[in-house]
Amino acid sequence: MNRSEIETDLLEWMKQTPWRADLVRFERLALALFRFQYEACEPYARFCRSLERTPRDIQRFDEIPAVPTGVFKEFDLCCFDLDATVKTFRTSGTSTDRRGRLRLDTLRLYEASLLSSLRETFLGDLRGKQPMLRFLSPSEEEAPDSSLSHMFATLLAAEGGAGSGFDLRDGQLDLDSLGRARQRAGQGGTPILILGTSFAFVHFLDATAKSPSDTWKLPEGSRVMETGGFKGRSRIVPREILRSELASRFGIPEISVVNQYGMTELGSQFYDSSWLDPDGPRRKLAPPWTRVRIVDPATGQDIAAGEVGMIVIHDLANTGSIAAIQTADLGRAVRDAAGETIGFDILGRSEGAEQRGCSIATDVMLDASLRETTT
Amino acid sequence: MTHLEIKWPDAMVEQVRAARGRLERAGEALRAMSLEQRLQSTARILGDWTAPDSPWRRELVTAFAADSPFHEDTVREGLDAALRAWKPEELIACVRRELAAVLESDDVVLSPFDWTAVLAGGTIPMPTMLSVLLPLILGSPVLLRETSNDGATAALLKRSLKAQNGTLARAFEHLAFAAEDVAFDTLLEAPCIVATGSDETIRSLSSRLRPSQRFLAYGHRFSIGVLGPALEFDDEAIGQAAEGFALDVARWDQTGCLSPVVVYLVGFDPSAEKGFARTISRALEKVARKMPRGEITTAVAASHANERAEARMRQASGETSGDPPRQTMSFEGGDYTVILEANTEPRPAPLYRFLRLMPVDSLEKLARVLGPFSGQISNVAIAGFSPGEVDALRRSLFHFGASRVTEPGRLQTPPIDWPHDGMPLLTPIARFAQSG
Repeated sequence: MNRSEIETDLLEWMKQTPWRADLVRFERLALALFRFQYEACEPYARFCRSLERTPRDIQRFDEIPAVPTGVFKEFDLCCFDLDATVKTFRTSGTSTDRRGRLRLDTLRLYEASLLSSLRETFLGDLRGKQPMLRFLSPSEEEAPDSSLSHMFATLLAAEGGAGSGFDLRDGQLDLDSLGRARQRAGQGGTPILILGTSFAFVHFLDATAKSPSDTWKLPEGSRVMETGGFKGRSRIVPREILRSELASRFGIPEISVVNQYGMTELGSQFYDSSWLDPDGPRRKLAPPWTRVRIVDPATGQDIAAGEVGMIVIHDLANTGSIAAIQTADLGRAVRDAAGETIGFDILGRSEGAEQRGCSIATDVMLDASLRETTT
Repeated sequence: MTHLEIKWPDAMVEQVRAARGRLERAGEALRAMSLEQRLQSTARILGDWTAPDSPWRRELVTAFAADSPFHEDTVREGLDAALRAWKPEELIACVRRELAAVLESDDVVLSPFDWTAVLAGGTIPMPTMLSVLLPLILGSPVLLRETSNDGATAALLKRSLKAQNGTLARAFEHLAFAAEDVAFDTLLEAPCIVATGSDETIRSLSSRLRPSQRFLAYGHRFSIGVLGPALEFDDEAIGQAAEGFALDVARWDQTGCLSPVVVYLVGFDPSAEKGFARTISRALEKVARKMPRGEITTAVAASHANERAEARMRQASGETSGDPPRQTMSFEGGDYTVILEANTEPRPAPLYRFLRLMPVDSLEKLARVLGPFSGQISNVAIAGFSPGEVDALRRSLFHFGASRVTEPGRLQTPPIDWPHDGMPLLTPIARFAQSG
């Protein structure tokens, strides 16, 4: 299979609703994609050869070498001529030369994947009904290299109804425009969907803390999606507290507050199950064209369900880059009563922070140099 | 209808208040002792801990290791080496030096704080011990909030105080509770507070204190090594330096601020750099046989896995840097990682026996490389320089805030009067008064 054939198959898969898991199809596509990426991306091929895991050595998708997210800061991991780049997404950061980047030569698969996930796990019954969408993030014009802003722009174009728009401009939250949108939705009794970064929602909570109790109550069926971390952008709020406070402020049930786990280096994202499966345990859902493995960091081997390990993601939507990504995040597989894996939990990276005591934290050397270059 | 709100007392707040009450009474007896008496008693206690076969130290090894991720042999070696480097006579000399005005004049007197709160941090017992003993010398009783990583040191220290001097023992209390506990606020009422922790913790604490409170903070620092070209063709000296750094890295599994996270190789030929990387890898393997690395958390293991994979990617890419061209090389063992980098680009330090070696052309370039870390460097071990170069290098390192320059193998064993974070031992927590 060449890349075009792989993408055609994937696009078909992404159109299917509800999602349909198919391990045989995944394995076939993953191995074909690995063969293509090995041939097309020389730094990746060299990495694979150093591990003695080339296409000739590999029979299963979980043997495919995963690259750590950090190398996206140092290498252009792409399977096409750089001249063919149509979009470059960059990780957030304080210094451009240390920001990771994902180059894309086509947005077709990227957009199909993000829309499929949002429709399946977040929009649900509102799909095709053009609900009002408000975004607590900068627009794509303001942040052209932000994958999140592009995602929101894509969703806005595909599903957004009248009154949709962005409420973060020049780094400032525009509570007036958000308030007007809420009022308009309230008058029509139609749901409103508010999506944004976690730290923007914290600023929202802080800015509206003294508002009368019903000021920000949203119409029935409304929902919230938040994503990302807090570091340096706002006070740090535990995920559960943020969810509870947002539900309370907006007057919606907690199942309507959905967290997204994503990263610039990936073409797909992972959403909480709470909207799609309100009775099951809250966990992250993986689209069928992705596989999330929880591995022992020392061996790279999958660990038993319920045990904490390092998250490795195989994302077939990354056709033009590298599909197998090793993250620095910790997670745990979630299984149902029958022992089937039904999703995963993210446990973050903070474990052991206190253990370091007076020695430097992991990033201190890095942070110190960044402070120097940005001041 | 009257709305009654009943506030139940928090058990830990009550414990802190009760301890504070006891300390205030104990403080009177403590201050009734002369400075000289307090100093001599403390020096004797220190002697009990630093003696060649100290039973206190032996007991601490067992108790501390039982509840810590470190291997017992690492704890034993670390405590033996660090405490035996503390000389009671050097403590006495240091106190006399720092408090000369009080000892030599009737006009200047000590006016001890009613009590001192010590907020322990980190994974290593020695800073906790010193943070308790110093206020006692000054006549200020101590309430210690133990670190969650060490539930052994405080209780043993209290017993050792009691064995020497009941008054000193009564002037020391210790409690363990979470930072989120409301009892923390009660602790922060102390007129003098000594804290060890991350920069974030220190900032947060500082914002909660009144300007009138004395606050001494030990934040995050890291240590480094610098090797010069005089070593390049001296196999014996190279071997010694490698063994010294391996010991510095292995002690406390590289988790203290005295642990080197990077060794700069100044003016080495690329082949000599590789040679040193291999030598120190072998030394780390050897030292691990005597001092195995302790358990690491999944988060630390993930951090190691990522940094190793990134280095492997750089190495496999074949990309070179500098003139002469250099390539990243990775040397991995079960308990250690050595990455010979191709340049000096700052990278994360995952700790737990993960060392980076970085090439630098000259001392002038080293100064430029270290500039961004000004104020964050703790101790530096150097070797392989001419006497003239050593003088210039020391000046440069002191300029960047390093508080001690020593040799490989001695980073983790500073003398008791080492100016931690560049500060004197006692005066930052002492209060003076003058008459006349």
